[in-house]
Amino acid sequence: MSFSPPVIIKLPIWRRRTLLIVVLLGFCVLLGRGIYLQGIHKEFLQKKGEARYSRELKLPANRGIITDRNGELLAISTPVESIWASPPDVVASPNQLNALAKLLQIEPAVVVKKLTKKNHEFVYVKRRIPPELAAQVMHLGIPGVFMQREYRRYYPAGEMAAHVVGFTGVDDKGQEGIELVFQNWLAGKAGERHVIKDRQGHIVEDLVAVNVPQDGKDVTLSMDRNIQYLAYRELALAVTQFKAKAGAAVMLDAKTGEVLAMVNLPTYNPNNPVNINVNGRSRNRTIVDTFEPGSTLKPITAAAALESGNFKPDTLIQTAPGYLRVGTATIHDTHPQGLITVAQVIQKSSNVGASKMALTLDRQFFWGVFNQLGLGTPTHIGFPGEASGRLRPYKIWRPIEQATMSFGHGISLTLLQLARAYTVFANDGELRPLSLLKLNEIPLGHQVFSAETAHQVKDMLEMVVLPGGTALKAQIMGYRVAGKTGTAHKLDVGGYQKNRYVSSFVGMAPASNPRLILAVMIDEPSSGEYYGGTVAAPVFSKVMEGALRMLAIPQDAPNDNVVIPAQGAPEGEPEEAPEVKDAPAGKSVKEVQEST
Amino acid sequence: MIPLQSAFNKLNTNKYGASSYDQGLLWVTLILLGIGLVMVYSASIALAEADKAIGHQQTYYLTRHTIYLVVSLSAAFVTFQIPTQAWQRMAPYLFLIGLASLVLVLIPGIGLVAGGSRRWISLVVVTLQPSELMKLFATIYVADYTVRKAAHMDSFKRGFMPMLLVMLVVGGLLLREPDFGAFAVITVIAISILWLGGINVRIFTGLLVLLVIGFVILILVSPYRLERVVGFMDPWADPYGKGYQLSHALIAFGRGEWLGVGLGASVEKLLYLPEAHTDFLLAVIAEELGFIGVLTIIGLFAWLVLRSFMIGKEAIANERYFSALLAQGIGIWIGVQSIINMGVNMGLLPTKGLTLPLLSFGGSGILANCIALAVLLRIDWENKRLQKGVPA
Repeated sequence: MSFSPPVIIKLPIWRRRTLLIVVLLGFCVLLGRGIYLQGIHKEFLQKKGEARYSRELKLPANRGIITDRNGELLAISTPVESIWASPPDVVASPNQLNALAKLLQIEPAVVVKKLTKKNHEFVYVKRRIPPELAAQVMHLGIPGVFMQREYRRYYPAGEMAAHVVGFTGVDDKGQEGIELVFQNWLAGKAGERHVIKDRQGHIVEDLVAVNVPQDGKDVTLSMDRNIQYLAYRELALAVTQFKAKAGAAVMLDAKTGEVLAMVNLPTYNPNNPVNINVNGRSRNRTIVDTFEPGSTLKPITAAAALESGNFKPDTLIQTAPGYLRVGTATIHDTHPQGLITVAQVIQKSSNVGASKMALTLDRQFFWGVFNQLGLGTPTHIGFPGEASGRLRPYKIWRPIEQATMSFGHGISLTLLQLARAYTVFANDGELRPLSLLKLNEIPLGHQVFSAETAHQVKDMLEMVVLPGGTALKAQIMGYRVAGKTGTAHKLDVGGYQKNRYVSSFVGMAPASNPRLILAVMIDEPSSGEYYGGTVAAPVFSKVMEGALRMLAIPQDAPNDNVVIPAQGAPEGEPEEAPEVKDAPAGKSVKEVQEST
Repeated sequence: MIPLQSAFNKLNTNKYGASSYDQGLLWVTLILLGIGLVMVYSASIALAEADKAIGHQQTYYLTRHTIYLVVSLSAAFVTFQIPTQAWQRMAPYLFLIGLASLVLVLIPGIGLVAGGSRRWISLVVVTLQPSELMKLFATIYVADYTVRKAAHMDSFKRGFMPMLLVMLVVGGLLLREPDFGAFAVITVIAISILWLGGINVRIFTGLLVLLVIGFVILILVSPYRLERVVGFMDPWADPYGKGYQLSHALIAFGRGEWLGVGLGASVEKLLYLPEAHTDFLLAVIAEELGFIGVLTIIGLFAWLVLRSFMIGKEAIANERYFSALLAQGIGIWIGVQSIINMGVNMGLLPTKGLTLPLLSFGGSGILANCIALAVLLRIDWENKRLQKGVPA
């Protein structure tokens, strides 16, 4: 077999050249394309690339903790994991999907929907789960499913301090309370990393220098967690016992104006803040709600009267015949008192007596007293949504209004304002500013009354809890107590409500040198009892006593100082507004009992 | 040095007469294989590490690629010993073996499916890709055919029809896998060799016109085909779907710029770009080594094509027409396949599933390429002997 080709074969040169040129042209086109892609079009391509795999990573700053004045934790961030997925990368068997759904307690269909989302490279599957659970999820080994560290806020004090501390939302931003007010302070500054990630989410390199996060700072509240708990417990018991709609209490350090306790009912669990707006559960009533205080304002009227120079504690006032006509309106005392002293007006809570004092005062002067005490103006304690209350300008006051304001009607304020006003009786006539944060020194106050006036009114307030007074149940063993009851008809659409009351008690102890001030307010007690002396005073007594002993404040009275009222004694002041009846005057506890 | 060199030359001369190797061809081949080894390793590390099925071994592909190189170079060495005439003698039989393997691969149980195509035959320890070997056998066969039918190159019936029928069979088998890339390369090789062999210009133009008309009709009948054919040109229209792979390949080119991001520093290979170590190896080269790297690869391939044509020219001068057509056919094969692969990488051609010859990961491909280049080297060696008057 011969393999020599036939001689006639022709392999023309031009065909070879043409073919070679075509092939080489192909290489030239590629070179041109390479120059275009790598030299000219590169910025567009690089931008597309960055969109694919460069990521801005937030480096979360640790949120500061919130503690009480003794360093007890009130809010702390604990690590949790969020499960997320990159749908294009997810490869999962039905078994794995079911296991995932079961672990996360999500409907399998929902999981499938999330993991197959089109045109998404980031989908949260479930946020904020415990690290152990997240570890189990990752153990399933589903490609394209990742976890991400986040922080969840935990509130050890739970519902008892919820209204003060507040809570954070899912993105770790303060939503209520201190968490909201001190958001920037607590949050710190998140850092940032601009990185390239591989397709599995590993960081390959940093594109720019890492911006290191700055951790948030801590907040130390003035609150004493133990007192807070005590106040919460006693208030809750009273609200239950008297079937009240709500309740609130504020305890102040009388000297520094620090808020030692601030409780509200109903409340909510800040660790799981759902349905927080039902029944106003999220409202910090001590600050955001105003009410007409009733007789708790009488000591201020008395102080104003003493300051005016027209009255002395023993100045006699005729309250007979138990009512007073002012213009077309009539002010009532429940039980006519006759001729009584200024001190007895307070002790017996006589509306007529208070009105008569008020009507002698210059209305601008009287307004000035209220105003200087901060009634109807915000405390600026630094809490979101603080209400200012309402103190009408004196220029439009009519005599009847001047009279009713003397016993706390026609004026609205917050419980916190009321408690603050009482600091004047504990500090020789000086009003102290309030603080929710722990203070290192006593803040500057301002003098509202003379020290003499303050002492005289404080003495009158001591009589309130003594036989003949309206709040025997406010007494504390071993301590002298000064305070005042209030039982006010609620103001609602259509005027004062006949059967709806706000029962309150504001007081201080030890009366010889007051260290603590406590204001208690029970909203709409509906069990039948509604006098401040019956409903609010016992709460005051228990909380104040506990706090005095916790803080080891020396006693200023013998252990047998408490006078136990006889059963069934109507020791409260039956006052009504604007037609107000008052307790029988000038009688001992026994006599009160007899008079019923 | 000089005594040693002359001693070696003497030895050479003694054993093989006056001829010697084409050092350039040998080195260019070895350089391409070397670049391929390094880049396959670089491109496959992340992929291997992420793959549970292979035990997360970083060197999984490196090890295999090294073994392929050793086997292929050994095969090349053996091939070099085979006279060109032997290939011509075996041409029809090799082609039949190739056809048989293409049939075998289609039989379920023998042919293995991967990536939606049935392209591999399992040979106990290794898998063989018949289409790669078919490229070699077809080149040999068409060269032989053209020489045999040289007298009928002007005749449509006697010169062109038989080859058309053969190609339809080969094409039909390849498209069953499917392996459109291999079909395209073999078609181009066949047409090129026929063209070189002097096929009638009218037949040739007629063929081209026919192809164009068929293409136009296809598009007119079903416009969606146009969309599918042209769709690859704008990967940004559907960058997470159909355009995913190409968009990532283009990003790799853009990131590489002139000088590249540095060997090993590619981001695209971190599982973003699919087939980074096989079909899209050039994109990783472009990203890591920049335009300089791409230029080098294109230059080396162009040099290979040029060299094969020069060897072909020398064979013609020696009146060894089979050798001439075979040499140029091999050049066309390497050139066209590399152009198509690089064109795909750069978004100039639709994705075909063709590897970059000599560089991409894949045993059968490298084996076929190395054998082909050994044949080319042998043809040159025989040319030189003939020029020196030594019988091939």
